[in-house]
Amino acid sequence: MIQLNSLSKKYEEAIVLNVDKLSIDKGEHFGLVGNNGAGKTTLFSLILDLIQASSGNVTINSIEVAKSEAWKKDVAAFVDDNFLIDYLTPEEYFEFIANLRKVDSAALNEFLQQFDAFFNGEILDQKKYLRDFSKGNQKKVGLAASFIGDPSIVILDEPFANLDPSSQIRLKSFLASEGNKDKTLLISSHDLNHVTDVCERIVLLEKGNVIKDTPKSPKTLKELEAYFSGQ
Amino acid sequence: MSIKVIMVLVTLYFLGAFVFGASMTYPILNKKILDREAVEVFNGIILYIFFFELILRFFLQQLPVTNIQTLILLPFKKRRIINNVLFRSVFSGFNTTPLIIYLPFAISMYRDDYLGTQVVAWWMALLLTTLCLNFLIYIINKNNLYFVLLLAVVAATVALYLYTEFDLGHMTGALFDAVVAQPQLVGFFIFPLVLSYALVFYFLKRGFYMDAGLAKTKTAVQTGDYSFLNFLGEDALILKNDLRMIIRNVRPRQVVLMSFLFLFYGLIFFTQDIYRKQDFVMVFAGLFVTGGFCLTFGNYVPAWDSSYYKLLMTQNISYKKYLLSKWNLMVFVTAISTLLSLPYLYFGWDVMGIIIAGSLFNMGLNTWTTLFGGLMNKTPMKLNVKAKAFENTQSFSLNQFLLIIPKMVLPVLLYWLPAKFMGPTAGYLSLAGAGMLGIVFKNQLADWVTVLYLKQKHETIEAFNK
Repeated sequence: MIQLNSLSKKYEEAIVLNVDKLSIDKGEHFGLVGNNGAGKTTLFSLILDLIQASSGNVTINSIEVAKSEAWKKDVAAFVDDNFLIDYLTPEEYFEFIANLRKVDSAALNEFLQQFDAFFNGEILDQKKYLRDFSKGNQKKVGLAASFIGDPSIVILDEPFANLDPSSQIRLKSFLASEGNKDKTLLISSHDLNHVTDVCERIVLLEKGNVIKDTPKSPKTLKELEAYFSGQ
Repeated sequence: MSIKVIMVLVTLYFLGAFVFGASMTYPILNKKILDREAVEVFNGIILYIFFFELILRFFLQQLPVTNIQTLILLPFKKRRIINNVLFRSVFSGFNTTPLIIYLPFAISMYRDDYLGTQVVAWWMALLLTTLCLNFLIYIINKNNLYFVLLLAVVAATVALYLYTEFDLGHMTGALFDAVVAQPQLVGFFIFPLVLSYALVFYFLKRGFYMDAGLAKTKTAVQTGDYSFLNFLGEDALILKNDLRMIIRNVRPRQVVLMSFLFLFYGLIFFTQDIYRKQDFVMVFAGLFVTGGFCLTFGNYVPAWDSSYYKLLMTQNISYKKYLLSKWNLMVFVTAISTLLSLPYLYFGWDVMGIIIAGSLFNMGLNTWTTLFGGLMNKTPMKLNVKAKAFENTQSFSLNQFLLIIPKMVLPVLLYWLPAKFMGPTAGYLSLAGAGMLGIVFKNQLADWVTVLYLKQKHETIEAFNK
């Protein structure tokens, strides 16, 4: 479904990402871990064609992302604040995304109901613009919005960061829920616990290289912890 | 580098123009109005200069409070921080009117036959008043109500002048006349300055907490319903968003206001017989009257959307649709401006002809040229922050400078050549026709600009990410 072919990204002489071959299957929940500067955001940005690859390419459903825009209808992402329109209220923002994804307002309302607990009564009907929400609540809006219109691929960079503990747990159970079984999820995180809970395949990046690429097993968390503590 | 040189030259030009203009004012006033002294005439209009200055300051000047936020935790006394901020505000570019306008005038006075003390006192009085305005603006700035009040005072002053004997401008002028007559009276001008300083000091001190005066003001939500636009179908989507952006953010509101002021450009030119005979001035004026929004808004497409550009780039929006939506908005506002400019018919059909022809040229071609220019504008836009004076020039580039040729020089030629040989009607038709071509071929033009946009996609995302 998503194919990376000898993909690399260089700034000046520094190589920030260098992946020979990586394919992510349909319905796979793909977890990306690594320290700061490992290249996680770079990898996602390349998949989303937000930055230009120095060599190689990315294809989504056999469409080369840098050549055509046809992949956009299948993909949704929440990478950072630049995915929020800060002068809209959450309702207006959801409506904007829903319009783009051809979801009518009845379907949108129904879709949003499943986030009642996650939103914790702090998102809807607040009569506030997104710019006046806290970081954590902004994030909730962005995360929920990226599932509007049932995209088959969802890319989330650090979805757990800035969320309070209850919200982290609710997000995890949402990601693992039945409705997302068939979705291809790409999730990066610093939190090894969360990422191993949600994902069935873990890829570990370091300095732009894939160090480890394993299906999740009961041992994965231990191995990752050992790796990051330098043993 | 070359851009910097041009900027310096442009700035020097304007400075020179002001100084020259101000120096010329004196002899002109002296010659034309024989029964009154030039200074008296100037003093008579000084109130209006102050009003104009205050309004301009309201839209452009900001107290550097961001600096306070970094100082607030450091061991400085509050008084000292506030004094420091207020002191630094004195050196703002807005306080240069005494230097570039009043000083040349004062020198002319001295060269006439006023005494040094008279001239210095008069100039000092104006300087002190300007500083007083400088402090007052920080109070007006905090609350739109004060601004409305200011506008009401301006309106009342004008109304009283027009319909009654009461002339506030004349009374203000008399204060400054008195200083010329008795220079020692300038001492009294210290009081309003001290008072305004004390007021703003108190005001800042009271609000000296992160959640009070220094806090970012949270705006009440305007939940306008834009569903009436839904008949436009998919096109309504970005348009709705643009309307919300304009209504809810400071910076785009400023642009819309400025473009409204463009409507009055014609009053400067169409009222003067010297200009009426100059084809190029007429074409410029005609373009400006209706082109304010198109030229200023378009120049910041896509920068308006810089803070969520990544979203737009990953969502299911085609670039062409995005551009056409912006184009529609620009055409729509230009059309409204044209309707609003109908009163110019008062000055004759030649004026109306050039405005309508210019408006069509703006809609058809200047829109696309500006959108093309906007693409080169890669400075991310802070939507809800007022533009600082001259901030617009930060994103000024040589290429944009060159775009003046198709935007301004081309229309002059399009009018002038046919008008010269076949009369003004041919000129209007040629100018309007060129614009119509742009409207007819909008799809082709959109395709062409889209290619350019896509070519620069990554560069633009990177620039906006800063």
